[in-house]
Amino acid sequence: MMKSNLHGERKISPHVFLSAFVWGLGQLLYGQIVKGLLYLAAFAGALWFFIARGFRDIAGFFTLGTVQENLWLGTTGDNSMRMLILGLFALFALVFAGVIWYANVKDAAFTARQAARGNRPRGFRESLAAMADGKFHAAALVIPVVGVCLFSILPIVFMILIAFTNLGGEVVHPALADWSFAAWQKILSVGKVGATFVKILSWNVLWAVASTALNFFAGLSLALLLSKKNVRASKFWRSFPVVAYAVPAFISMLGFRFMFSQSGPINQMLTASGRDAVFFLSNVESAKWWARGIGLFVYAWIMTPSIMLMTTGILSNISSDLYEAASIDGASPFMKFRRITLPFILFSLTPVLISQFVGNFNNFGIFFFLRGGLQSNYADYFLASDTDLLINWLYNLSVDNNYYAIGAAISLVIFVITAVLSLAVYVNSKAYKTEDTFR
Amino acid sequence: MSTSRTVADSSPIPSRRPRRVTPGRLFDDIATYTALLAVSAVFVFPALWLVLASLSKTGDLFSFRGFFPSAYSIDTFRDLFTNDVNGLYPYGKWFINTLYVAGVSSVLGTLLVILTGYVMSRFQFKGRDAIKKATLLLGIFPGFMGMTAIFIIVAQLGLLNRLEALILLYAGTAPLGYLVQKGYFDSVPGSIHEAAKMDGASQLTIFIRVTLPLSKPMIVYTALTTFAWPWSDCLLPQLLLKNREVWTVAVGLYNMPDQQFARFAAGSVFIAVPIVILYFCLVKYIVSGLTAGAVKE
Repeated sequence: MMKSNLHGERKISPHVFLSAFVWGLGQLLYGQIVKGLLYLAAFAGALWFFIARGFRDIAGFFTLGTVQENLWLGTTGDNSMRMLILGLFALFALVFAGVIWYANVKDAAFTARQAARGNRPRGFRESLAAMADGKFHAAALVIPVVGVCLFSILPIVFMILIAFTNLGGEVVHPALADWSFAAWQKILSVGKVGATFVKILSWNVLWAVASTALNFFAGLSLALLLSKKNVRASKFWRSFPVVAYAVPAFISMLGFRFMFSQSGPINQMLTASGRDAVFFLSNVESAKWWARGIGLFVYAWIMTPSIMLMTTGILSNISSDLYEAASIDGASPFMKFRRITLPFILFSLTPVLISQFVGNFNNFGIFFFLRGGLQSNYADYFLASDTDLLINWLYNLSVDNNYYAIGAAISLVIFVITAVLSLAVYVNSKAYKTEDTFR
Repeated sequence: MSTSRTVADSSPIPSRRPRRVTPGRLFDDIATYTALLAVSAVFVFPALWLVLASLSKTGDLFSFRGFFPSAYSIDTFRDLFTNDVNGLYPYGKWFINTLYVAGVSSVLGTLLVILTGYVMSRFQFKGRDAIKKATLLLGIFPGFMGMTAIFIIVAQLGLLNRLEALILLYAGTAPLGYLVQKGYFDSVPGSIHEAAKMDGASQLTIFIRVTLPLSKPMIVYTALTTFAWPWSDCLLPQLLLKNREVWTVAVGLYNMPDQQFARFAAGSVFIAVPIVILYFCLVKYIVSGLTAGAVKE
């Protein structure tokens, strides 16, 4: 590798060699004091971390704990979950250290080449300036990449790994965990967990399809209504849905929960007119379809305005020539909608609709805010209610009830489903097939 | 419906051909305006209901006559800040907390997202494609799949019950949503950057002096969305903040019972009104941000 960098003319400079073992040493010998010291400090830090705990953490990652807690003997045992995440962190740190090592060797090789050509090695200021210019993209992406690795990728990898352990349920802290497929056996078997899984999955698919379609057509109809030629002051009419759009979603959802609650205004009006109060959102089995319907309605109320805003923009892009030509050919308004408007909108919005579909499939908020609460009231479900989506079940399992492994396995299932669905829809969409010709 | 007829007919636009009132047109107008009124009522009613409820004299949801309070007073808003019912509902503190978290995450997050979007749009480098694919893949994972892990990480960092944990999480993961910003920079002509480079400007200078001033609409949109997310997120704070004093408004409102309905309504109105006004002022930017994901000709 070094050879190719040096165009195969020269042997590896001894300074580069030194830098490969003790980071920054080569730079120091070239007289690049500040940079050399920085690399040296990074080297010391990395050494200290890995000797003090890093290597032990990585070992713990594989064993998941060997010492059982014993209160009689006063031994503090291993905590499997913590060992897993710390081990993972140490592995990430190892990769990160590797990146710094590579940068350090590359930098030393660069300076060696400069020195071989008789140039003075760069000072620290010059190096910084070069960083801000030629390596701008790398410097700019350091913080985003580290942030995303630590707070997004690490947790996700952790969860994937958890799915292949027996953590959770009986196996929490004092007990030691192990790698196993127990969670998958539970989900795929015919037991209560498996039955709940099938029921929630089918409702989840129904919910995602119904809510995406409902929101799309409601938003489209609203945009078409507002763009009708005989509507005056359409900006004024448009401001009402925009209010609904601007109110934070959780406030709308909580507001609707109060509206449909046991002592809420709708039930008050029902009882005042001599009828029985209805359990709209209570945690009872008779509320199943009420709660599902209200969920669809409330979510449409929240989402319609944004679809309307999007489609309004796209509608104004459709050339009026198309409609005029259609009129001359004697097309009815419905035919125009069916053959011109709808295909155009669908073409433009397919990527947005896909992400909406995935978002709806994983819509945690709607039933969490609308209904929330007791899952123990449902005899047929394992720690879930009959409106819960997979993502709500995952939350109940892993955050509320410590069933980590099952929860993690479900999140993997969710991932596979959404990934396959969005890929399939995307590949079959017109926007993808005709992308090149249309752009 | 007679009013809407006159609205439609009494303001003819000069450039239009005079319309003849045919029965078909009359019917169409009536239907259109009926639909408009119905739709507007559906959207405005719940908001109106909350506003009126926040002005109710009694707080309990059950004391209302149907939808609307039986007596009105402004006291609920005063109570919101002065009477926290033995520390159960310290709304003032929640409000400051929310402002702090949302404000700082918005500043940091906007900077990171804009930077990421700009770099991903303007630079060709090794690993760019890998980063693009990785973010697409990460986007498919269910949002808070890693909740348990995040809890442990935050606990290890000693940041449980600290608002800084939320800021780290919101700002740190914000760059994942860089695609909208990238789309924006893709549409800015590259010739300006080329010209600046010809003049010997470094990439950092170009970013600060050329890119940032040119991308004001995108910065406004990004700042708004990165602010609105912590402003209304309930899950992370619920997970990481256990003491009532360090809660954010969203968690506080989520935990309000039926008996405190007026307090809930007042608290909601108080944080929703600034956001609604902001949206109305910036609706142009928002629409361009919303459609950035759509396919354009």
